[in-house]
Formats: sequence, structure tokens, C-alpha cells
Amino acid sequence: MQIRIKCSCGADSCPEWAILELQGIVEAQPSFQDRLQNLEIGQLCRPSSQENYTFTIGYHELTGSKVPLKKPFLVLKKVKLMDVDQRNEDNSAGTELEVVGIIRHRILFKTRPKALISKPQPVVKERASSTGSSVLTK
Amino acid sequence: MLVMEQHSGCRDAEALLNLQLNSSISIAYHPQFGPHDDLILLELDEKLLPDVLHQRVTIRGQVDEDAVLCTQSKTYVMKFVGTSNSVFLVPPSDHSAVSKNSNDCSGKDHNQQPIASVLKVAPGNLELVEIAPRLNKLKLLLSKNPYSSEEALEFEDLEGVEKIKKGLFTWDDLVDRVQASDDELRHGLQALSAVELNGYWRIVNERYMGTILMMLLHNSLLNDWSLDALNEDEVVSLLVSDGFPPKLAQHCLDVYGTKVNEGVGSCLWRLDERRVCVHFAREILSTGKTKIEKFMEEWKRKIPEGMHASIGMLEGEVLTEKVGADLWIRAFSVSSLPSTPAERFSILFKERQRWEWKDLQPYIRDLNVPGHSLESLLLKYTRRTQPTLDAEPVFSTR
Repeated sequence: MQIRIKCSCGADSCPEWAILELQGIVEAQPSFQDRLQNLEIGQLCRPSSQENYTFTIGYHELTGSKVPLKKPFLVLKKVKLMDVDQRNEDNSAGTELEVVGIIRHRILFKTRPKALISKPQPVVKERASSTGSSVLTK
Repeated sequence: MLVMEQHSGCRDAEALLNLQLNSSISIAYHPQFGPHDDLILLELDEKLLPDVLHQRVTIRGQVDEDAVLCTQSKTYVMKFVGTSNSVFLVPPSDHSAVSKNSNDCSGKDHNQQPIASVLKVAPGNLELVEIAPRLNKLKLLLSKNPYSSEEALEFEDLEGVEKIKKGLFTWDDLVDRVQASDDELRHGLQALSAVELNGYWRIVNERYMGTILMMLLHNSLLNDWSLDALNEDEVVSLLVSDGFPPKLAQHCLDVYGTKVNEGVGSCLWRLDERRVCVHFAREILSTGKTKIEKFMEEWKRKIPEGMHASIGMLEGEVLTEKVGADLWIRAFSVSSLPSTPAERFSILFKERQRWEWKDLQPYIRDLNVPGHSLESLLLKYTRRTQPTLDAEPVFSTR
């Protein structure tokens, strides 16, 4: 069996996708679990002059940076070809892969999240980071 | 609403990658967020990129084999590498995979803040590892139905051809079944001395090839042709009049000869001394092992005049062993061994428990594993012993 990799975008105009990568998983509130579509995950900010980014999810803040991938990723999409070859009844026949994008960069967050205090107060903040628990005070 | 839809670019990878200083972007799940199992990430070397983007690669393999990706000249196995990180995939805004009804900025985004939306969480990606072509299967497929003299006799009998077609393979059939790039497959066919007959790639039965060669040598003797300058047209037309199919007459020159002039007019061929001599040695040894003196005598008698047989020609073709006072010789051809190192060494050590380097080398020098030298294969599959510094190293199984 042979599967072709098609590419209609051409070498110069392959649309660029992006990766946002973080350790662990993001969990939504149970009430949203099965309808994540359109739900906001967080805010990505680029505060300083370096390639630094912060990603705020709920009460957590992640710090990361934009890094180029050592080797690019291609985004391939499986395309089922319809009734091209009636003889081959097995599902595997008539599949093609199409290049739909390329990924060259990812914004990577590899540190543990920092707990955010809604109204920063020096004393509380210090205690919070030393105990490692998120103490939330008004 | 219409205006909003046209205002694209507010929900895409570009906005994310080009985020300006002192600004922020909202990250949200895409309206079509889901598993999207049809989207695959393939990591690949920058140098392979043009091949893929210009549609010069294919993925080959049967359902029960792991898939390989082939360029024109190389083969790569595709390995899935999982990740425990959350890898959020953000497509460009106008992406066709999701464009059906992605009303980019419409709907729930009442604020005009830019948004990048996550279409899928990728569980990992495929990566490519260069491998040697899997040509064992090619040999297996073609060995099922070697072309022989019986078939040559019913050459005109179309029904007979139809009958046998089932176990035969065209180039496209082979590409579908063998995990190798086009160049490597062509190479493999050449190494097997295969020939394309009526659209099917075939191995020709060795005895039948021998018959054609005998006839060719016979004709050369009768017509006083020099074996160093055989005229292709003359050779082929005489063999055809002797009853051999033209394609096979030509193939005989390909297998045992080398073209000497690439110029105008008819081609001249030189018979290759080594290949012709090896053929006769194999023929003699096909009946079993024999004492070396008897073998040499018979071999020298069989080869055409002007050619010189030497035992060195039979590297990788024969093994010798001492039994009592006599040295015996028998056929053991490297071409009959599997091309994967593990299987190759396993068979070699079943054949002999201990190998001296000079005996072993002809049976492993053709092994080809990208990224591994012959030395590293020896380290992996053999134990090397050398009793004294000036002694020959001996290899045994691990």
C-alpha cells in the first residue's frame, strides 16, 4: 500500500501553525468538561523586551519563552478518498495525507506554575511562596 | 455579522507568534476544538522539507508493517513519540482544515481583544529514522515464481501467461509491497539480477540462465567472437534463432557482461571474468560439497578459454573446511542470506560457531544500517577474541 503526501500550498506559502506547550495538563471546571469549545484558557502576555511570555490560567501564572523547533513539524491531515477504487474494500485504501501547515516555533512553559495573589500584599506573598500553597486574601 | 466574519486574523497562530511587546492575547479553545485524530504532526529534517512540499515522498507499508516514508533515494521508519506535556495546536485563522464554519471573530467574543484558539491537544508527533530498505521481502516475492525454461517454451501461449500472472509482480505491485525507496528498489532488483518480462519483474532460474550462457559461449566459439568485444545485435539475434526470448538473450549480457562502448552503432559487450567463473563454480557446487582438488580441476575445465579462475573470486560464495587431511569446499552464498544484521549474524553463527575475520568479512561487508558502521555491528552482535596480539581475531556469538 502506498499513501501519497500531497501539498497544495507549495514551498513558500505553507501556512504557519503555532504550538503553546506546557507541562502537565489544564483541567477545566467539571461543568465545562464536555463543552470546551470557545472556552477561554487564559491570557498570554509578553511583558518585557526579551522573548519572555507569561501565561495566566486561573490563579496560576506560567513563565516561558518562544523557542524555535530544532526540526520543523509538518501538520498533516488524513484525507479519505471517496469511491476512487471500488475494488479495495478495506478502509485503509484510498487514504491520502495532505500537508496543511508547518510549525517552526513553540511558546514553551517549562517551569512550575506560580500561584497568583489577587491583591498582592508583601507579607502574604512571602508566606505563600515559602509554604508553597496558594493563600488567597482580599 | 458579515463585517465581523471578514475581520479575520484575530484568531490565529500569526497573532500568537507575532505578539508585540507589552501586549497580550487571549488563549481559548477553538469553536471546533476536539481530538482531531486526522491531524498528525510529523517532525522532519529541514533538508527533507523540499521533498515533502514538492510531493516527492510517499508512505509505504502493508497494514501489518510499521509505515516507512520514502523519498526518491532513502527510506525512513516513522516512529510515534508521545509527550506528557500539553501541546496546544493553534492553526492559522483561515485554515482550510477548520474553515468550513469558523466564524472567526463572531459569536461570543464581544471584546475586540485578539484571540488565539487551540484546535487540538497533540498527544505527540511522528519522527523519522533512516533505515536500510527492507529488501528481504523483495527476494521472497520474486523467488515464488522464478522464470524457467518451461515458461520460455510456452512463451507464445497467452493462456499460460494469464494462468501464472497471480504470483507475479509489476513495478507498481512491488512499490505497494516492498518498503524501499524507488532508487533502492531498483538497486535491489539489479542485485537480484531481476528482469522485467511482459511488465512483470522476474528472477530467472539460475539453471536456465546457465543454459543461455552456455549457448552464448558456444556461439562465440563457432563464430570466432572475442569475449571482450561481443556485438550485442549479433549475439542477441543468434540466441533468438536458437529459441531464447529476446529479452532473456539481452538479460544474459546484462548479468554476465559489461557494456564497453556507449557510442554510436551497435553496442559491444565484454564478458566479466569473475561473474562467469563464479557461475560455473556455483553450478559445480550445486550438487553438494566436494574435495577442493576435484573442484578446482572441474572448474578450470568448465570455464571458457582465455578466462582464469582463482579461488579468490569465490569470496562470499563458498566455505572450505578441513576434514581429516582433506580440504572440502561447499557453496554458501552471501546473496542467499538475509539483509538485516540480527538475522544475518544468527545464521552465520549457526553455520559456524567461530569465524576468522578473513572468512567473516565477505559475509557482512554488504550489511547496511544507516548510522551504524560495520565495527559497531560487530560490537553489537559478536564477541571478539584474540589470544595473542599477532593472532587473527576470532568472532563468536554474544
